[in-house]
Amino acid sequence: MSRLSVSGITKRFGGITANRDISFDVAPGELVGIIGPNGSGKSTLFEVISGFSRPDAGEVRLDGGRLTGLPPDRVCRLGVARTFQKLRPFAGLTVVDNVMIGALTRTRDVRHARTRARDLLDRVGLAEKADAPARTLSTGQRKRLELARALATEPQVLLLDEVTGGVDQRSIPGLVQLVRDLHRDGLTLLVIEHNMRVITAVAQRILALYLGEKIADGPPDTVTRDRRVVEAYLGQAYAQ
Amino acid sequence: MRGTWPAVVFFALAALVPVVVRDAFLLDGLILLLLWGATAAAWNVAGGYAGQVSLGHAAFFGLGAYAAALLGTRWTLSPWIGLLVGAALATVCGCIIGFLSNRLRGPYFVLATIAFSQVLLVVASRWRALTAGSEGVPVPFRPGFWTLGIADKRVWVYLVLVLVVLLYLIELYLERSRRGYQLAAVREDEDAALSLGVPAQRLKVAAIAASAALTAVCGALWAQYVGFVDPFYVFSVDLSVRFCLATILGGIGTPLGPFLGATLITTLETYLRAHFGGIGAGRVGIYLIIYGVALIVMMRVAPQGLVPWIGERLRRRPAPGTAP
Repeated sequence: MSRLSVSGITKRFGGITANRDISFDVAPGELVGIIGPNGSGKSTLFEVISGFSRPDAGEVRLDGGRLTGLPPDRVCRLGVARTFQKLRPFAGLTVVDNVMIGALTRTRDVRHARTRARDLLDRVGLAEKADAPARTLSTGQRKRLELARALATEPQVLLLDEVTGGVDQRSIPGLVQLVRDLHRDGLTLLVIEHNMRVITAVAQRILALYLGEKIADGPPDTVTRDRRVVEAYLGQAYAQ
Repeated sequence: MRGTWPAVVFFALAALVPVVVRDAFLLDGLILLLLWGATAAAWNVAGGYAGQVSLGHAAFFGLGAYAAALLGTRWTLSPWIGLLVGAALATVCGCIIGFLSNRLRGPYFVLATIAFSQVLLVVASRWRALTAGSEGVPVPFRPGFWTLGIADKRVWVYLVLVLVVLLYLIELYLERSRRGYQLAAVREDEDAALSLGVPAQRLKVAAIAASAALTAVCGALWAQYVGFVDPFYVFSVDLSVRFCLATILGGIGTPLGPFLGATLITTLETYLRAHFGGIGAGRVGIYLIIYGVALIVMMRVAPQGLVPWIGERLRRRPAPGTAP
């Protein structure tokens, strides 16, 4: 059975259709990449899956249970965590407190949550920043923080919105390795990514969206050679 | 100032005053100062810890005051029962306001809270059959603890001090508990908190309802101590601003901040009124000007409030003899 099942999702904003009849299934432990030019509906799809936005049609299921219609905090407690494209750390809190808030969703014990948070910071390579205020972190460090925070909620499925976007070149290999490790440990991941080299290297399967519709779904080398995908990215002139 | 010793010193000093001081004016000042501190601390639960700034908390204060006064005068019930009824009414109203906070954010929420307190003012000053209208309600003095008819001001100090310590402990809980951390997350970024599984809406409603109930308790005790409830005072925006101002000056979202802030503005106000508030030619309102300037200066010097400001100073220059 599929872990995450998205069927017939349509989301409109006024006259614009951000998602049109999008369906796909994700198997447990699969790492699926989502690509598409700006405005193709990738982030909207994440908003719908995570419960922040209600679709006009269609539904999302986790292990067969319906997620659509539930508020985002319920969706998280049921096992779907997300990061934000525009990073949103709790700027006034320390780095470890940020992660602790994720951990407190699974445990009532503050001390236990703090230990978990420190372990996760260690894992994402932010251990030495644990007691600094989150506002002092660089963009790359903030990405790691968001990742640690989301992982602290012990998700079944993790939605990552732009892992390498806005991050300096030197930090990219570390982040990519982190995503690989999570995948190897059996986590189911959905990853939005603009950097083609990154996504083709980590994903087993790629979905391509264009103007709100799914235009391709398959292994990376097939999708990146797909005529419609190339057209969408580079324009018709390059598709011959 | 993460430690609790400054609070212990503060409360111990307050507890010592009645032993040393017999002067009724000073004791009266201390009781009111502690009551305003407690009310500011109650406001801090919603405004500081949950980040839901209300300028209508006088509504809850007035509900508590009226409940105690009216149940006492009309049905000769104990003010303790009035206090509980007031707290229950405030909890219900707090839930409604809390529900609003999920629909209205920022300035719109603030406006809604002001409107709510003004509605109660109109009801209290016009519904003569129940409240005696704009004349206000005198609270009868019936000697005894059960009727809260206590003539000895020293007893009042300790009574109010119990409430003060209780509120301080609640703030400490909000500082260190799971729910407290989750509220901090809601305050910082509600959507991010939701994405991490924090039940933001439920927590906000609970915090506002608790804050309302505690404010009503303060109102009930205040009415009993002062002995008269005037609708235009207890439901005034001025009073709401006072709770908020004391907390912001002392340090919003800190356990001791509201008490320090209330101490500061209450003493400043009393002092200025005594020295500059005379009816002498041409300076009737001058104390208000000085008061206003003093507030501006304080906010310039310590924009985060007194508690964080002092804490920063202590960290920068550790006292001699302490381990680094």
